[in-house]
Amino acid sequence: MQNKLSFHQSSVSLEIIGLPDYSNNENKDQISIISQWKLNITDKPLIEGKIEHLVPIMDAFYIYANLLIKNKIPIYESKLIDIKADNLHTHNIFLKSPRPNVKPLTLKIGNSLLSDTINCFDQLNESSRVRINKSGQSNIIPKKVRFGFKNKINFFNSIIPPFIAICSLILFSSAFIYFYNPVEDKEKNELINQK
Amino acid sequence: MRKSYVNNNIKIEEFDALIKITVEMSRYLYPYIRQILQSKENLEKNEDTWNDFNNRLIDLIKERFNLDSIRVKKLLNKTNNDETIIKLLLTLSLCISNHGNQKLKNFLFDI
Repeated sequence: MQNKLSFHQSSVSLEIIGLPDYSNNENKDQISIISQWKLNITDKPLIEGKIEHLVPIMDAFYIYANLLIKNKIPIYESKLIDIKADNLHTHNIFLKSPRPNVKPLTLKIGNSLLSDTINCFDQLNESSRVRINKSGQSNIIPKKVRFGFKNKINFFNSIIPPFIAICSLILFSSAFIYFYNPVEDKEKNELINQK
Repeated sequence: MRKSYVNNNIKIEEFDALIKITVEMSRYLYPYIRQILQSKENLEKNEDTWNDFNNRLIDLIKERFNLDSIRVKKLLNKTNNDETIIKLLLTLSLCISNHGNQKLKNFLFDI
Protein backbone atom coordinates (compact mmCIF):
# COMPACT_ATOMS: atom_id res chain seq x y z
CA MET A 1 0.00 0.00 0.00
CA GLN A 2 1.52 3.33 -1.12
CA ASN A 3 1.39 6.56 0.87
CA LYS A 4 -0.14 9.69 -0.60
CA LEU A 5 0.60 13.22 0.54
CA SER A 6 -0.93 16.41 -0.87
CA PHE A 7 0.22 20.01 -0.67
CA HIS A 8 -2.23 22.77 -1.54
CA GLN A 9 -1.83 26.45 -2.27
CA SER A 10 -4.85 28.29 -3.71
CA SER A 11 -5.21 27.01 -7.30
CA VAL A 12 -2.35 24.52 -7.27
CA SER A 13 -2.02 21.14 -5.59
CA LEU A 14 0.90 18.74 -5.56
CA GLU A 15 0.42 15.06 -4.80
CA ILE A 16 3.31 12.82 -3.84
CA ILE A 17 2.90 9.03 -3.96
CA GLY A 18 5.50 6.67 -2.61
CA LEU A 19 6.76 4.31 0.05
CA PRO A 20 8.81 4.63 3.24
CA ASP A 21 12.36 3.34 3.27
CA TYR A 22 11.98 0.47 5.76
CA SER A 23 15.74 -0.24 5.60
CA ASN A 24 16.23 3.09 7.45
CA ASN A 25 13.58 2.18 10.08
CA GLU A 26 11.24 4.91 8.84
CA ASN A 27 7.63 5.37 9.92
CA LYS A 28 4.73 4.00 7.92
CA ASP A 29 3.63 7.55 7.00
CA GLN A 30 7.01 8.60 5.65
CA ILE A 31 7.67 8.84 1.88
CA SER A 32 11.28 8.37 0.85
CA ILE A 33 10.86 6.31 -2.30
CA ILE A 34 8.70 8.50 -4.53
CA SER A 35 7.07 6.46 -7.28
CA GLN A 36 4.85 9.19 -8.75
CA TRP A 37 3.93 12.84 -8.37
CA LYS A 38 1.09 14.93 -9.80
CA LEU A 39 0.98 18.69 -10.14
CA ASN A 40 -2.54 19.94 -10.64
CA ILE A 41 -3.00 23.57 -11.71
CA THR A 42 -6.62 24.68 -12.01
CA ASP A 43 -7.80 24.89 -15.65
CA LYS A 44 -4.51 23.46 -16.90
CA PRO A 45 -3.55 19.93 -17.97
CA LEU A 46 -2.33 17.61 -15.22
CA ILE A 47 1.45 17.30 -14.97
CA GLU A 48 2.76 14.02 -13.64
CA GLY A 49 6.00 12.12 -13.63
CA LYS A 50 8.61 10.21 -11.72
CA ILE A 51 11.11 11.40 -9.10
CA GLU A 52 13.84 11.99 -11.73
CA HIS A 53 11.55 14.62 -13.30
CA LEU A 54 10.36 16.28 -10.09
CA VAL A 55 13.69 17.70 -8.86
CA PRO A 56 14.68 19.30 -12.22
CA ILE A 57 11.19 20.81 -12.56
CA MET A 58 11.32 22.23 -9.02
CA ASP A 59 14.81 23.64 -9.68
CA ALA A 60 13.57 25.17 -12.94
CA PHE A 61 10.74 27.00 -11.16
CA TYR A 62 13.03 28.25 -8.37
CA ILE A 63 15.73 29.49 -10.76
CA TYR A 64 13.16 31.12 -13.06
CA ALA A 65 11.49 32.94 -10.15
CA ASN A 66 14.88 34.20 -8.97
CA LEU A 67 15.70 35.51 -12.45
CA LEU A 68 12.29 37.16 -12.65
CA ILE A 69 12.79 39.05 -9.40
CA LYS A 70 16.43 40.01 -10.04
CA ASN A 71 15.55 42.11 -13.10
CA LYS A 72 17.26 39.68 -15.44
CA ILE A 73 15.75 38.30 -18.63
CA PRO A 74 13.82 35.33 -17.24
CA ILE A 75 14.62 32.42 -19.53
CA TYR A 76 15.26 28.90 -18.28
CA GLU A 77 16.10 26.11 -20.69
CA SER A 78 16.95 22.48 -20.01
CA LYS A 79 16.46 19.05 -21.56
CA LEU A 80 13.24 18.53 -19.63
CA ILE A 81 11.65 21.95 -19.22
CA ASP A 82 11.81 25.45 -20.72
CA ILE A 83 10.25 28.47 -19.04
CA LYS A 84 10.09 31.78 -20.88
CA ALA A 85 8.29 35.02 -20.17
CA ASP A 86 5.81 36.43 -22.70
CA ASN A 87 5.62 39.62 -20.70
CA LEU A 88 5.68 40.65 -17.04
CA HIS A 89 2.47 38.72 -16.29
CA THR A 90 2.55 35.64 -18.52
CA HIS A 91 5.01 32.76 -18.36
CA ASN A 92 5.23 29.97 -20.94
CA ILE A 93 6.18 26.52 -19.69
CA PHE A 94 7.28 23.87 -22.20
CA LEU A 95 7.50 20.36 -20.76
CA LYS A 96 9.45 18.13 -23.10
CA SER A 97 8.83 14.42 -23.31
CA PRO A 98 11.84 12.07 -23.39
CA ARG A 99 9.97 9.97 -25.96
CA PRO A 100 10.65 10.81 -29.62
CA ASN A 101 7.94 12.42 -31.81
CA VAL A 102 5.98 13.69 -28.80
CA LYS A 103 5.26 17.41 -28.89
CA PRO A 104 6.10 19.39 -25.72
CA LEU A 105 3.24 20.22 -23.40
CA THR A 106 2.76 23.99 -23.32
CA LEU A 107 1.24 25.83 -20.37
CA LYS A 108 0.66 29.55 -19.94
CA ILE A 109 0.57 30.69 -16.33
CA GLY A 110 0.43 34.07 -14.64
CA ASN A 111 2.31 35.40 -11.63
CA SER A 112 -0.38 34.17 -9.23
CA LEU A 113 -0.14 30.56 -10.44
CA LEU A 114 3.66 30.78 -10.51
CA SER A 115 3.77 31.80 -6.85
CA ASP A 116 1.17 29.12 -5.94
CA THR A 117 3.32 26.45 -7.62
CA ILE A 118 6.51 27.60 -5.90
CA ASN A 119 4.72 27.70 -2.55
CA CYS A 120 3.58 24.10 -3.10
CA PHE A 121 7.20 23.12 -3.78
CA ASP A 122 8.24 25.01 -0.61
CA GLN A 123 5.72 22.98 1.40
CA LEU A 124 7.12 19.78 -0.08
CA ASN A 125 10.71 20.82 0.74
CA GLU A 126 9.75 21.69 4.31
CA SER A 127 7.65 18.60 4.92
CA SER A 128 9.13 16.21 7.44
CA ARG A 129 7.14 13.34 5.93
CA VAL A 130 8.76 13.45 2.49
CA ARG A 131 12.44 12.96 1.91
CA ILE A 132 13.77 13.86 -1.53
CA ASN A 133 17.20 12.62 -2.48
CA LYS A 134 18.71 15.38 -4.60
CA SER A 135 22.26 14.03 -4.75
CA GLY A 136 21.78 12.32 -8.09
CA GLN A 137 20.32 15.42 -9.69
CA SER A 138 23.04 17.95 -8.86
CA ASN A 139 25.10 17.07 -11.94
CA ILE A 140 22.34 18.09 -14.35
CA ILE A 141 23.14 21.67 -15.34
CA PRO A 142 20.51 23.43 -17.42
CA LYS A 143 21.59 25.10 -20.65
CA LYS A 144 20.84 28.65 -19.60
CA VAL A 145 22.26 28.37 -16.09
CA ARG A 146 25.74 27.58 -17.31
CA PHE A 147 26.33 31.32 -17.50
CA GLY A 148 28.22 31.10 -14.21
CA PHE A 149 31.11 29.25 -15.88
CA LYS A 150 30.88 31.44 -18.97
CA ASN A 151 31.10 34.52 -16.79
CA LYS A 152 34.29 33.20 -15.22
CA ILE A 153 35.82 32.70 -18.66
CA ASN A 154 34.62 36.17 -19.72
CA PHE A 155 36.09 37.64 -16.56
CA PHE A 156 39.52 36.15 -17.30
CA ASN A 157 39.25 37.18 -20.96
CA SER A 158 38.56 40.75 -19.93
CA ILE A 159 41.31 40.86 -17.28
CA ILE A 160 44.16 39.20 -19.23
CA PRO A 161 44.56 41.79 -22.08
CA PRO A 162 44.96 44.84 -19.78
CA PHE A 163 47.22 42.80 -17.50
CA ILE A 164 49.50 41.89 -20.42
CA ALA A 165 49.41 45.54 -21.61
CA ILE A 166 50.50 46.84 -18.19
CA CYS A 167 53.25 44.19 -17.94
CA SER A 168 54.59 45.10 -21.40
CA LEU A 169 54.57 48.82 -20.47
CA ILE A 170 56.61 48.08 -17.34
CA LEU A 171 59.07 45.96 -19.34
CA PHE A 172 59.51 48.66 -22.02
CA SER A 173 59.93 51.49 -19.53
CA SER A 174 62.49 49.46 -17.54
CA ALA A 175 64.42 48.87 -20.80
CA PHE A 176 64.67 52.67 -21.33
CA ILE A 177 66.57 53.02 -18.04
CA TYR A 178 69.64 51.64 -19.88
CA PHE A 179 69.55 54.54 -22.39
CA TYR A 180 69.18 57.24 -19.77
CA ASN A 181 72.02 57.75 -17.29
CA PRO A 182 70.99 60.05 -14.43
CA VAL A 183 74.69 60.48 -13.22
CA GLU A 184 75.77 61.89 -16.59
CA ASP A 185 72.79 64.20 -16.62
CA LYS A 186 73.72 65.55 -13.19
CA GLU A 187 77.31 66.28 -14.30
CA LYS A 188 76.05 68.14 -17.36
CA ASN A 189 73.77 70.27 -15.21
CA GLU A 190 76.64 71.09 -12.84
CA LEU A 191 78.86 72.21 -15.78
CA ILE A 192 76.09 74.48 -17.11
CA ASN A 193 75.64 76.05 -13.66
CA GLN A 194 79.40 76.71 -13.30
CA LYS A 195 79.43 78.58 -16.63
CA MET B 1 13.66 57.53 0.23
CA ARG B 2 11.76 58.08 3.50
CA LYS B 3 10.52 61.50 4.62
CA SER B 4 13.02 61.60 7.46
CA TYR B 5 16.06 63.77 8.12
CA VAL B 6 17.63 61.36 10.61
CA ASN B 7 20.00 58.81 9.07
CA ASN B 8 20.10 56.06 11.66
CA ASN B 9 21.80 52.87 10.57
CA ILE B 10 19.56 49.89 11.19
CA LYS B 11 20.86 47.28 13.64
CA ILE B 12 21.00 43.62 12.67
CA GLU B 13 18.34 42.71 15.29
CA GLU B 14 16.02 45.41 13.93
CA PHE B 15 16.62 44.19 10.37
CA ASP B 16 15.76 40.61 11.39
CA ALA B 17 12.65 41.80 13.21
CA LEU B 18 11.49 43.78 10.15
CA ILE B 19 12.04 40.72 7.94
CA LYS B 20 9.99 38.57 10.36
CA ILE B 21 7.13 41.09 10.44
CA THR B 22 7.16 41.38 6.63
CA VAL B 23 7.07 37.60 6.16
CA GLU B 24 4.29 37.14 8.73
CA MET B 25 2.25 39.91 7.11
CA SER B 26 2.73 38.53 3.60
CA ARG B 27 1.72 35.04 4.87
CA TYR B 28 -1.43 36.53 6.36
CA LEU B 29 -2.17 38.70 3.32
CA TYR B 30 -1.22 36.09 0.67
CA PRO B 31 -4.80 35.72 -0.69
CA TYR B 32 -4.97 39.49 -1.25
CA ILE B 33 -1.49 39.69 -2.78
CA ARG B 34 -2.47 36.86 -5.11
CA GLN B 35 -5.71 38.60 -6.02
CA ILE B 36 -3.85 41.82 -6.91
CA LEU B 37 -1.37 39.90 -9.07
CA GLN B 38 -4.25 38.06 -10.75
CA SER B 39 -6.10 41.30 -11.37
CA LYS B 40 -3.09 42.77 -13.19
CA GLU B 41 -2.83 39.60 -15.32
CA ASN B 42 -6.35 40.16 -16.59
CA LEU B 43 -7.09 43.87 -16.44
CA GLU B 44 -10.05 43.66 -18.82
CA LYS B 45 -12.01 41.43 -16.44
CA ASN B 46 -10.91 42.74 -13.07
CA GLU B 47 -9.10 46.05 -13.15
CA ASP B 48 -10.67 47.46 -9.95
CA THR B 49 -8.47 45.46 -7.55
CA TRP B 50 -5.24 46.57 -9.25
CA ASN B 51 -6.36 50.21 -9.57
CA ASP B 52 -7.51 50.39 -5.93
CA PHE B 53 -4.25 48.90 -4.72
CA ASN B 54 -2.14 51.17 -6.94
CA ASN B 55 -4.02 54.31 -5.83
CA ARG B 56 -3.72 53.39 -2.14
CA LEU B 57 -0.01 52.62 -2.51
CA ILE B 58 0.58 55.97 -4.22
CA ASP B 59 -1.32 57.76 -1.43
CA LEU B 60 0.85 56.05 1.20
CA ILE B 61 4.06 56.86 -0.70
CA LYS B 62 3.02 60.52 -0.95
CA GLU B 63 2.29 60.54 2.77
CA ARG B 64 5.51 58.93 4.00
CA PHE B 65 8.21 59.18 1.34
CA ASN B 66 10.47 62.03 0.26
CA LEU B 67 8.80 63.32 -2.89
CA ASP B 68 11.95 65.12 -4.08
CA SER B 69 13.77 61.82 -4.55
CA ILE B 70 13.97 60.65 -8.19
CA ARG B 71 13.37 57.03 -7.15
CA VAL B 72 10.18 58.04 -5.34
CA LYS B 73 9.07 60.05 -8.37
CA LYS B 74 9.56 56.93 -10.51
CA LEU B 75 7.42 54.92 -8.07
CA LEU B 76 4.68 57.52 -8.28
CA ASN B 77 4.57 57.42 -12.07
CA LYS B 78 1.54 55.23 -12.74
CA THR B 79 2.56 54.33 -16.28
CA ASN B 80 6.04 53.09 -15.33
CA ASN B 81 5.68 51.73 -11.80
CA ASP B 82 3.95 48.46 -12.78
CA GLU B 83 7.14 46.43 -13.05
CA THR B 84 8.48 47.52 -9.65
CA ILE B 85 5.17 46.91 -7.88
CA ILE B 86 4.64 43.49 -9.50
CA LYS B 87 8.16 42.41 -8.53
CA LEU B 88 7.61 43.59 -4.97
CA LEU B 89 4.34 41.67 -4.73
CA LEU B 90 5.87 38.59 -6.30
CA THR B 91 8.80 38.70 -3.86
CA LEU B 92 6.38 38.87 -0.93
CA SER B 93 4.22 36.07 -2.33
CA LEU B 94 7.27 33.78 -2.66
CA CYS B 95 8.34 34.27 0.97
CA ILE B 96 5.37 32.82 2.83
CA SER B 97 6.93 29.45 3.65
CA ASN B 98 8.45 28.50 7.01
CA HIS B 99 11.87 29.46 5.66
CA GLY B 100 10.43 32.68 4.23
CA ASN B 101 12.69 34.85 6.43
CA GLN B 102 15.82 33.41 4.86
CA LYS B 103 14.30 33.58 1.38
CA LEU B 104 13.41 37.25 1.76
CA LYS B 105 16.90 38.05 3.09
CA ASN B 106 18.45 36.26 0.10
CA PHE B 107 16.25 38.21 -2.31
CA LEU B 108 17.18 41.50 -0.62
CA PHE B 109 20.91 40.76 -0.58
CA ASP B 110 20.84 39.67 -4.25
CA ILE B 111 19.11 42.82 -5.53
